Amino acid sequence: MALLRATHLTQAARFLGCFKQTHLTQGFPQLSPCWRTISGGEYRRPGQPKEYTPIWKQFDFQKGVKGMQKHFALLKEEFLSRWTGPEGRPLVEHMLEQTRVIWEFRGPKSLENWTVSSDREIGGRSEAFLKLGRNNTTCQLYGTLCSVAPRDGETRYSGYCTLRSKPLKGAFDSKKHHDWTSFNTLHLRIRGDGRPWMINIGAETYFSHQKDEIYSYFLYTRGGPYWQDVKIPFSKFFLSSRGRIQDDQHALWLDKVNTIGMTLGDKADGPFQLEIDFIAVCNDRAHTEEFAYEVYKRNPEV
Amino acid sequence: MNPYVLTIFLLSLGLGTTLTFASSHWLLAWMGLEINTLAIIPLMAQQHHPRAVEATTKYFLTQATAAAVILFATTLNAWSTGEWAIHQMSSPATITIIMLALSLKLGLAPTHFWLPEVLQGLNLTTGLILSTWQKLAPFALLLQISPALNSHLLITIGLLSTFVGGWGGLNQTQLRKILAYSSIAHLGWMVMIVKFAPSLTLLSLLIYILMTTTAFLTFKTLSSTTMNILATSWTKTPVITALAALALLSLGGLPPLTGFMPKWLILQELVKQQLPLLATLAALSALLSLYFYLRLCYAMALTSSPNTLTALLPWRLTQNTNPLLLSATSMFSLMLLPLTPTIMTLLTY
Repeated sequence: MALLRATHLTQAARFLGCFKQTHLTQGFPQLSPCWRTISGGEYRRPGQPKEYTPIWKQFDFQKGVKGMQKHFALLKEEFLSRWTGPEGRPLVEHMLEQTRVIWEFRGPKSLENWTVSSDREIGGRSEAFLKLGRNNTTCQLYGTLCSVAPRDGETRYSGYCTLRSKPLKGAFDSKKHHDWTSFNTLHLRIRGDGRPWMINIGAETYFSHQKDEIYSYFLYTRGGPYWQDVKIPFSKFFLSSRGRIQDDQHALWLDKVNTIGMTLGDKADGPFQLEIDFIAVCNDRAHTEEFAYEVYKRNPEV
Repeated sequence: MNPYVLTIFLLSLGLGTTLTFASSHWLLAWMGLEINTLAIIPLMAQQHHPRAVEATTKYFLTQATAAAVILFATTLNAWSTGEWAIHQMSSPATITIIMLALSLKLGLAPTHFWLPEVLQGLNLTTGLILSTWQKLAPFALLLQISPALNSHLLITIGLLSTFVGGWGGLNQTQLRKILAYSSIAHLGWMVMIVKFAPSLTLLSLLIYILMTTTAFLTFKTLSSTTMNILATSWTKTPVITALAALALLSLGGLPPLTGFMPKWLILQELVKQQLPLLATLAALSALLSLYFYLRLCYAMALTSSPNTLTALLPWRLTQNTNPLLLSATSMFSLMLLPLTPTIMTLLTY
């Protein structure tokens, strides 16, 4: 799925302003994480014109200078954080922590780490929006699902929407990963509307730009006015590649996790809503399962 | 893995190294290196996890590149001087190329980038083989060509490796990556001294193999791959916790443990060779490495983690029916310092 923020923008504005806010790398599209999607790596529906503004029209010196300052500051911080400890925090914290809240929605800036997408990119009619919830303490993903397939002759199914976190970027947009080796459970506090969602974790893959493999598990929301605490052990996540669940399963390695996301595609047309308070990881001492799915030999020797 | 197949791979590993040891012709030495690479590939890819396969691929590509460059340089040398014998390299350009290829094979800076990621993708036993056995063959070649090598290049590579190994390991919590950076640092020490006293390189290599074997076997016994899991080992095996802490300090080069021996002798030799600044810089870089070894000791033995258990694997207690290797290597890695004169006479040739 293309990582495009589906907002109320027009086609051209949607292309150029891949992000609604002024992005520091807008003067240098090559530096932005969305470069490939801008240049044509995302899905372009057959018949749609190829949109491309040449580089000399996008040049902005001030933004470039700010970008350089930001990246050099990040680089300096990366160098100096080594003296403090792993991941820039003291070792004692790393050894003692049993829970860590990774994403918390407390203010408009927290929404910048997330990307909302729906089947509008392939020409479908679902809509999905992301906004801050009440009191700026939660985020609300809402919209309408419509499983009418787009009439382009090649798409058969439609009707999905997804919320995905943006991967961590270090200095000069280098890849950084979440290191969750001290933990074994995902803890979410959500308030859904009874629909079944899928939680997708994207870990570091074999090739550097491979986006095929994802580890998923189900999230059944209860609906209703009460908050729901969901704890899913990482051993339950199963591997699927390009949407197909693989036979050769293996456990999710937690030392390089890139993104987490939630997808809705339950073929039920109509409005939906999901409110998220926080997403955390914790270490459940009583959970001893390594991997929930049997890995057996498909062609055993006789 | 099927025991017959495993035997074939392990014996091939032995064959490759032995071939390189026994060869005086560059082609045979190259063949030994290639056999080593190919034999360890299936061992690395045993786990059908994409990151394990990624580590295998990265390893294969770097080693194959290095072997190809060695072949290229030796062929150039044979073409220009007509000499295929290893110890009679005379062309300085080709010998520099071979040195760079060997540093890629060993994982010396600035060609060290593959080592932490590759080690991270392997299980501990294969990581042990990679860190110890696979270093022997390239070092055999290095020792043989050392008289003709450019000492500036060697010192640059050595010092850079010690600093990179120290700096890179500072932020790590994954034990395999820590051991990878420790390998880079130790290899740097070995390479610094190869021009002046090759026997010290050999001594350093053997002591390093001993200490790394201890470290890997300890981690394997404790089924730990991260620092947090190591922190709870005091609840499981207090004896190993105590000994392993000392073994890590030995890796860091603290007297009166064995690891001090190579560092002391290397620093002494460097000073004798009128290189006190280099000796100072090397000793300072050893402090960086010592910091992360100390951090592991701190996590393991000097603090009692309030958590009872952080890992799943120890629940399935595999019977460690043969602790002989771990106990022998840990004793050697702690107690050999008083035997320094004996070892020196054994290795001086």
